[in-house]
Amino acid sequence: MQIAIASGKGGTGKTLLSTCIIKVLADKNAVLMDADVEEPNANLAFLQPISATTTVYRPVPQILPEYCTYCGLCAEICEFNALVVLADKVMVFPELCHSCGACSYLCPYAAIDEIEHPIGVIEETPLQTSGTLLTGRLNIGEAQSPPLIKAVKNEQLSAAIRLVDCPPGTTCPMIEAIRDSDYCLLVTEPTPFGTHDLELSLEAVKMLGMQGGLVINRWQGNDGELLDLSERWGFPILARIPFSAELARAYMQGLDPFAAMPALRGIISDILHRIKEVSA
Amino acid sequence: MKEILFISGKGGTGKTSLTSSFIALADNCIACDYDVDASNLPILLKPNNIVGHDFSSGYSACIDEEICTSCGLCKEVCRFEAINEDYQIIPLHCEGCGFCARICPVEAIKMNPRPSGHWFRSEFKPGQFLFFADLRPGEENSGKLVAQVKTQARQKALTDNVSLIIADGPPGIGCAVISSMVETDLIVLVTEPSLSGFHDLKRVYALIQLRGIKSVLIINKWDLNPETSQTIEDWATAQGVCVAGKIPFSTTIADCIATARIPATQPQIRNFIFPVWENILQQL
Repeated sequence: MQIAIASGKGGTGKTLLSTCIIKVLADKNAVLMDADVEEPNANLAFLQPISATTTVYRPVPQILPEYCTYCGLCAEICEFNALVVLADKVMVFPELCHSCGACSYLCPYAAIDEIEHPIGVIEETPLQTSGTLLTGRLNIGEAQSPPLIKAVKNEQLSAAIRLVDCPPGTTCPMIEAIRDSDYCLLVTEPTPFGTHDLELSLEAVKMLGMQGGLVINRWQGNDGELLDLSERWGFPILARIPFSAELARAYMQGLDPFAAMPALRGIISDILHRIKEVSA
Repeated sequence: MKEILFISGKGGTGKTSLTSSFIALADNCIACDYDVDASNLPILLKPNNIVGHDFSSGYSACIDEEICTSCGLCKEVCRFEAINEDYQIIPLHCEGCGFCARICPVEAIKMNPRPSGHWFRSEFKPGQFLFFADLRPGEENSGKLVAQVKTQARQKALTDNVSLIIADGPPGIGCAVISSMVETDLIVLVTEPSLSGFHDLKRVYALIQLRGIKSVLIINKWDLNPETSQTIEDWATAQGVCVAGKIPFSTTIADCIATARIPATQPQIRNFIFPVWENILQQL
């Protein structure tokens, strides 16, 4: 089973929830994938040593000057302006390339090879009794995160429980991260920002036809407009994590959230029960 | 004309609360929200006279089933798994590269312009403009939409002779952030004293270094974790980054956000935010 933990707004508690879920599961066959590859934070909740680091590449064009006639077809084909053909030179901009392969395939002179361009790494961290953490970490300056997100999600496909800590937002990186999940947990907070961004993410999850539910973080005794959103979109409120200055402080310092809020363990178990019920 | 951009790497550190406050404190400025995934600045600035424009970016493939012979070549070359078993395009997965359309032997595939969002011009005070946008869920090219918002804002600043643009940036370090940094004069980094806040700050700072843009730092909610706050301050000093201010956790700010008001409109908040704003302007 694959569960995505997402939110439109950043800083609502996605990583807190993901890391707490894997701790409560305490399953050796569980894997948590940190797909927020621009700013991965899940490892900060464990501070365990990384056992292996793998570089992730994607193919980008390389011009073979001995065959190139500077005809300009590749630049015309490329929809992403990743190639510029001058009189005696072709400039390649790997950061603009989407790795579609069209230029290399369609070059009439077979003058374009594809070479591997590193975009980031996947770090594997064993969590002892809780399974494995896989962290995707995008290289700084790299613009496109989806290929790395895809690579992270291609790891450990046979794990019994796969959790995906998603990037914030509602556009392509978030979609790539939640894609193919059995359930999507949307974490939100009871503020106008939280409500606004939740509605956008509901639209995204609904578009994929995925089942999901809401978790209200920093709850202060009142669902406000979130209740209405939940009913309108048919996404049940699975849990409310009360606002707690102690929990906030513990999280900031990387301390055990369950020590700061003992009730949190029960809240997380309930969420897992609810998900199992719905997906059964 | 100068442009100040607020970014943080990590989401939820208080960028929008602070950006909106500085917009309120500036005498005259053009405001921008570059978080085109989930723009929150309009929630606080509550603009009027909103004029929307369609934004189209790139293309999406479309297979004409009357012409298609199901030869499978398109599906074979597509690297985005955007063509399903029935030879239909899955728009969410299609990146618009056009490889399929070029290779189809019977020319059954057309590339159609792809409507991917909207950008808006609006007025948050008489004669003061806010530019923002929304990208449709699932779309890509957020960097291009950010560039569109930026171009419009800069044009308006030139025509109206406004000397300052204040922009709220997106989270992360990817395409939207890279695009929002273009032509920016000063970046204000907003962080919080958490392990993740500091971690993300260092990554976004490394990106700023690559672009060679000047930056200053604000530590928000510093008193929630004075120890890490001090570590961040020491780090900033070592990097030569000016700490423009440290803002304490405040229930008044939280109440403002809960009721969609700009924090600096409250006198007690204004009192401690104003010196921070003066420090930022001094660095500009």
